Order: sequence, then structure tokens, then C-alpha cells
Amino acid sequence: MKNNNTNVIAPEALGILPIHLENDEMLSRIGHMTRGLHENLRALGFDKIIEQAAHNIPDARDRLNYVARMTEQAAERVLNATDIASPLQDEIAKQAAVLQERWKKVMEVASVKSEYNEAASETVAFIHKTIENTSATKEQLMEIMMAQDFQDLTGQVIKKITELAQSLEQQLVQLLLDYSPSAIKKELDNHLMNGPQIAPEGTANVVSNQGQVDDLLESLGF
Amino acid sequence: MANPNTKFLVVDDFSTMRRIVRNLLKELGYTNVDEAEDGVMAISKLKQGGFEFVVSDWNMPNMDGLTMLQAIRADPSLATLPVLMVTAEAKKENIIAAAQAGANGYIVKPFTAATLDEKLSKIFEKLGM
Repeated sequence: MKNNNTNVIAPEALGILPIHLENDEMLSRIGHMTRGLHENLRALGFDKIIEQAAHNIPDARDRLNYVARMTEQAAERVLNATDIASPLQDEIAKQAAVLQERWKKVMEVASVKSEYNEAASETVAFIHKTIENTSATKEQLMEIMMAQDFQDLTGQVIKKITELAQSLEQQLVQLLLDYSPSAIKKELDNHLMNGPQIAPEGTANVVSNQGQVDDLLESLGF
Repeated sequence: MANPNTKFLVVDDFSTMRRIVRNLLKELGYTNVDEAEDGVMAISKLKQGGFEFVVSDWNMPNMDGLTMLQAIRADPSLATLPVLMVTAEAKKENIIAAAQAGANGYIVKPFTAATLDEKLSKIFEKLGM
């Protein structure tokens, strides 16, 4: 058909499209690209790779959950241990302080026996050291306890990654369902947890009453 | 140091962190400490009364720490309760949002015992506790 607008140069000819046409063209091009990408991916066997990836994500998620669980348990064990050890140190420190006072009083009175004085001095020195060391040990116990805060921090990161993996998995499975040949679709639907059958009569490989269940078991020799 | 009987509520969804904060408070001389694992549980405990100080995480299920803080400030019976945020959220906008919502202090995880001591003392001093 002859163009009746011969005097006017069509904007299309200049590469300028009206906005609605521009949108249509863009959508159509995206459609073509998607189709082309889909064909290429399938030719390369990428649908299998995507299927594999979607399949592997629950496993990765389980592993992350394992890491979260084990680190939490380890942190709990450490906290239980520091909770037990800390009051033990307190008790030693308290008793040492009492003993220290008593010895101080005793030693104010000079004793005749020099061996006795020597032993007493050593005991007092030991008590002093005990008080110093229990305090230092308590500090280290606090440090050990504080270090367990990693469990909160790594736990938060693991939770974020697990959520990310879950959303990625859903998207991959949806991608497969939307673009896979019907054989794969069937395969993906082929789980053991499908719940009640809503139309068993018309579905292959599904029993519709208890009689069929018993018949099937009988045919298998049960 | 404020009154050693000051009643604290420690709010965090991780039990490890609740224990750590509880132990730190104990070490600082405060033994009257209760725990809640999210904002919803915290608000319900706070409404029963008696609490004088809240140390809270931000990112928690059911109700996060900021929403909890806003709920505290909006409730006339709780509005003046001091709230110290202890959280891994480290963006400036987080800190600003917490301050605007009326937080009395903000500690970023991981933190040290000295930091907690310092922030607590500062709040006590400011409030004359």
C-alpha cells in the first residue's frame, strides 16, 4: 500500500518513536531477548543447572542452620562454664581475704619460734597472691564470656543469608516452572508430600479409595 | 553507681546476648534483672510495672527495638523509663532514628564491659538516679 504521507517525513524514519510506540517496541524487544535467552540457555543445558541450583539451596540452608545451631550450643556451653567458675573464684577470694586479716592480727604479736614466723610470712604471701590471681582469673572469665557475643552477631548474618537463599530458591523454582518443558514441570511436582488429592479419578498414579490401596498392597505381596 | 536494686529488663532475641548483658550487669552490682526475647514480650512485662531501666536490642522478631521504644514513649505509664539500645545496627540513620524516638543511649555490638559501664553511668548521672 502506498504511503499517503509522502510530503511529511515520518518521525519513525528519523528514529524517533512516539512514546506509546516506544514502549510497545521496548516490551516486544524484551520479549524477544527473553525468548532468545531462554532458547540459548536450554541449548546449553542451563535449565538443568538452574534445576540443580534450586535443588541444592535447601541443602545449603540446612548447613547454615547447622552452623548456627552448633555455634549457639558452643556459646551456651562456654557461658555455663564461666557461670560456674566465676562464683568459685569469688569464694576463694573471699576466704583468702578473711585469712589474710586473721594472719595479720596473729603476726602483730611477735612469736618466739622463728620457724613459725617464717611459715606464717610465707602463708601470708601466698594468700596475697591468691587474692591477686583470683581477681585476674575473674577478669579473664569475663573476657571469655564477652567473646561469646560472636554468636549473636554471626547468628544475625546467618539468618540474613538463610532468608536470601530461601527467596533465591523460590525464584529459581518459579523460573523453572514458568519456562521448563512440561516433563520437568511434572518432575518438580513429583514429591511425596502432596496432601489430599482433589480430583483423584482423573489423575494417573493416584488411588481414589481404600479398596484401591488394599488391592495395590496385595498385588505387591503384603 | 545507682541503687543496686534497680530493676532492669534486658530485651534481645539471642539468649547468649541476654546472658552476657545479665552477667555484665551483675558484675557492675545490679542483680535485679529480668529478660524478654522480643518487643512484644518486653512491653507486656513492662506494663506489669516495677521496671526502672531497659537495655534493648534493635533487630528482633514480632516487635523490633525501635518500635518498642516508640511504644514506651507513647505510653504515659512508661514514657519516662530510660532505654539503652545495644544493637548491631550501625548505620547513622539507625542511631538518629533511635535518638529521635527518645533512646537514652546507643551501644553498637560488639561492645565491651567498660562501654556498658560508661553508658549506664552517664544515663544514671543525667537522670539523677
